[in-house]
Amino acid sequence: MSLKPKIVEFVEVWPRLRCIAESVITLSKVERAVWNTSFSDVYTLCVAQPEPMADRLYSETKIFLESHVQEMLNKKVLAANDAANANSTTTTTATVGSKPDLLQRYYTTWMEYSQGIKYLHQLYIYLNQQHIKKQKITDTESFYGNLSSDAAEQMEIGELGLDIWRLYMVEYLATELVRHILEGIAADRASNGSLDSHRVQIINGVIHSFVEVQDYKKTGSLKLYQELFEAPMLEASGDYYTNEANKLLQRCNVSQYMQEVIKILEYESKRAQKFLHVSSLPKLRKQCEEKFINDRLGFIYSECNEMVSEERRQDLRNMYIVLKPIPDNLKSELIQTFLEHIKNEGLQTVAALKGENIHIAFVENMLKVHQKYQELIADVFENDSLFLSALDKACASVINRRPSERQPCRSAEFVAKYCDTLLKKSKTCEAEIDQKLTNNITIFKYIEDKDVYQKFYSRLLAKRLIHEQSQSMDAEEGMINRLKQACGYEFTNKLHRMFTDISVSTDLNNKFNNHLKDNNVDLGINLSIKVLQAGAWPLGSTQFITFAVPQEFEKSIKMFEDYYHKLFSGRKLTWLHHMCHGELKLSHLKKSYIVTMQTYQMAIMLLFETCDSLTCREIQNTLELSDETFQKHMQPMIESKLLSASSENLSGETRIELTFDYTNKRTKFKISSALQKDTPQEVEHTINSVDEDRKLFLQAAIVRIMKARKVLKHNALIQEVLSLSKVSFTPNIAMIKKCVESLIDKQYIERTANSGDEYSYMA
Amino acid sequence: MADDGENSVDRPTDADGSKPEKMFTLKKWNAVAMWSWDVECDICAICRVQVMDSCLRCQADNKRDVLSRMDCVVVWGECNHSFHQCCMSLWVKQNNRCPLCQQEWSVQRMGK
Repeated sequence: MSLKPKIVEFVEVWPRLRCIAESVITLSKVERAVWNTSFSDVYTLCVAQPEPMADRLYSETKIFLESHVQEMLNKKVLAANDAANANSTTTTTATVGSKPDLLQRYYTTWMEYSQGIKYLHQLYIYLNQQHIKKQKITDTESFYGNLSSDAAEQMEIGELGLDIWRLYMVEYLATELVRHILEGIAADRASNGSLDSHRVQIINGVIHSFVEVQDYKKTGSLKLYQELFEAPMLEASGDYYTNEANKLLQRCNVSQYMQEVIKILEYESKRAQKFLHVSSLPKLRKQCEEKFINDRLGFIYSECNEMVSEERRQDLRNMYIVLKPIPDNLKSELIQTFLEHIKNEGLQTVAALKGENIHIAFVENMLKVHQKYQELIADVFENDSLFLSALDKACASVINRRPSERQPCRSAEFVAKYCDTLLKKSKTCEAEIDQKLTNNITIFKYIEDKDVYQKFYSRLLAKRLIHEQSQSMDAEEGMINRLKQACGYEFTNKLHRMFTDISVSTDLNNKFNNHLKDNNVDLGINLSIKVLQAGAWPLGSTQFITFAVPQEFEKSIKMFEDYYHKLFSGRKLTWLHHMCHGELKLSHLKKSYIVTMQTYQMAIMLLFETCDSLTCREIQNTLELSDETFQKHMQPMIESKLLSASSENLSGETRIELTFDYTNKRTKFKISSALQKDTPQEVEHTINSVDEDRKLFLQAAIVRIMKARKVLKHNALIQEVLSLSKVSFTPNIAMIKKCVESLIDKQYIERTANSGDEYSYMA
Repeated sequence: MADDGENSVDRPTDADGSKPEKMFTLKKWNAVAMWSWDVECDICAICRVQVMDSCLRCQADNKRDVLSRMDCVVVWGECNHSFHQCCMSLWVKQNNRCPLCQQEWSVQRMGK
């Protein structure tokens, strides 16, 4: 065969070609040789001399396809119910008997035709690729719609075939087909999805033919499917759902209804997969949710309160599944109810607390509530973030609730004390403490007044460190690191410094003892000194407390100070005698005792080395103690019976005598001091100092913001201040206003001239 | 050993009875002291931060490392005025006088 263009007569070639085309499209057997000849026939016509006959071939083929499809419609699809089908579009009830067959016939014909047209497309490949491609508008052009799509534009043969099918077959049968399909789907629903699979295949095939017939289109290929079938299908389904929902309401209570709805949703989504094009699945699902859930919210919520308050997990789980797909704002009722429920339970568990260990009960009860609902959310609500944030809100509101306007919220104090209890020496094993501390952070995170917590925590930490009450330094450090993680460096800066001071002091003591050894000095006492950094420790007012140091201590102090000054320069040491304590060996009694007591108390005892009886005034003057200090330290000595007083009230003239008949079963004991207990004044002092710090923080924040912004409206300023202070506390607006006022007085900022609620920064 | 009503006391003696032992002996002393820079004014006049805290710059730079604040020491001039060493070392680049008394700045000692 030659590829050279030659002169051909169209009427000679076309009938031959047409014959083959018919065989191809009806899927009849075509010999390889014949196929090849036809293939070259197409070529010859397209390149014919003198004029190519491609256009003529195209239009003849079009006519052929049109008549073929019409013939199929009449002979194959409509054949069986001839009379009735002639007016099938108008009479719908008369054709009942033949209905299933229409779908069946259409389906078989379509299967044949769609396959055939693919082959025919192959046969015409030369025409398609050489002749028609050239005319085709490019993608970009079609995308921007520059060219008005020309109705007479030539299509590739495959597309042409599909388009003709649409025109002559689908459009003609559409109403009837859709009606049959919907009946088929309805039958499937009625039989609980047990329609036989052959039938399902047919319906599925017919539905998909609406898509496939337009598949070649670049845009809007689903349009036919959507207009022709999807819209009526959704409407019919919607009606069906409404109807079903009404039926369910008749016979079900809420929990049954939800169970049924979940089942129906599942069935419907399986059904949709079985029949429909994928693009319809979410639409049908939405329709289903709309009718069963959105439209029935009132009913579903009607028992919400009971379900939540009785914690009926199965019901709540169902309710969550049912409500999950609908928009968030419609779920809010469930979430709000849930939140209130947690809040109530939380308030109940902490409201009645009192007594010594209130802080332990507070934290542990709150933890129990938190854990319980965290577990419930995981179990029932799939850890949905909406519910988790409801839990957070509920916990935060319980924890930060003030018992009344006047009283401050004590949670920060409780949580700090709880940590203290854990970190103090006890018999609890380390792993358990560690776990509890981690849990404690959970509660800590809800506290708004983190600065209050920090104040309490640092005071308690100071006490533990100074009095060596910590269970383990690792646990202490671990806790500080946890806080740092939660609140950042600023928050734990001072805590870290305290912690480092103690470890530096341990080193220092070792070095100092070695130094003594090297110089052959024996102080005769076991000396351990902690050197704290001024500023880092919450020691309250460190105003100088007068004290004449007994000469027994002097040597130690001198040695240490000399050593310290050699080691460091530019530093001065202040001795905090009210925080020192030691052990004194008593040898004046039958047995000798070793007693732990405060430094002042040791000093008092030492005075009795040389005499057995002294007046209070004498003692006070010798030691230069203030009244308050003296009373505070003398009282426990008398209570311990090591000393006795001549009168109950310790006045200047009261004689203090050494008791010589003192006995105690233990040879080592401690004189309890009221010092280490937290007094109410101390708590109040802590809270007041927090207020002072807050004011400073707010002023600094305002100056910083104003410096950056130069000019700012009042409300914008408040917002920025709030966001800066969020980490450590939530200031009240009045306090911020006061700070603004005082900064205006100090001329850091001023009100702008033209507006009352605007400030500007004064450099 | 203690006779009631008597003012004189039997002082316990050592086993060999030669030297009287003290009635009260210090066995152990856990002392607490606080150190601070030995300065006249505890606020650095240059950065307006307490000299016990690290200077503004160091606070901003070394947020992560707690121990690094140890490096932010204090320096005393011959005039006995004191500042953060960091602040002063920047200051003298501009003006080699004490910011408080305008005397020629020379370091008297350095904190450690």
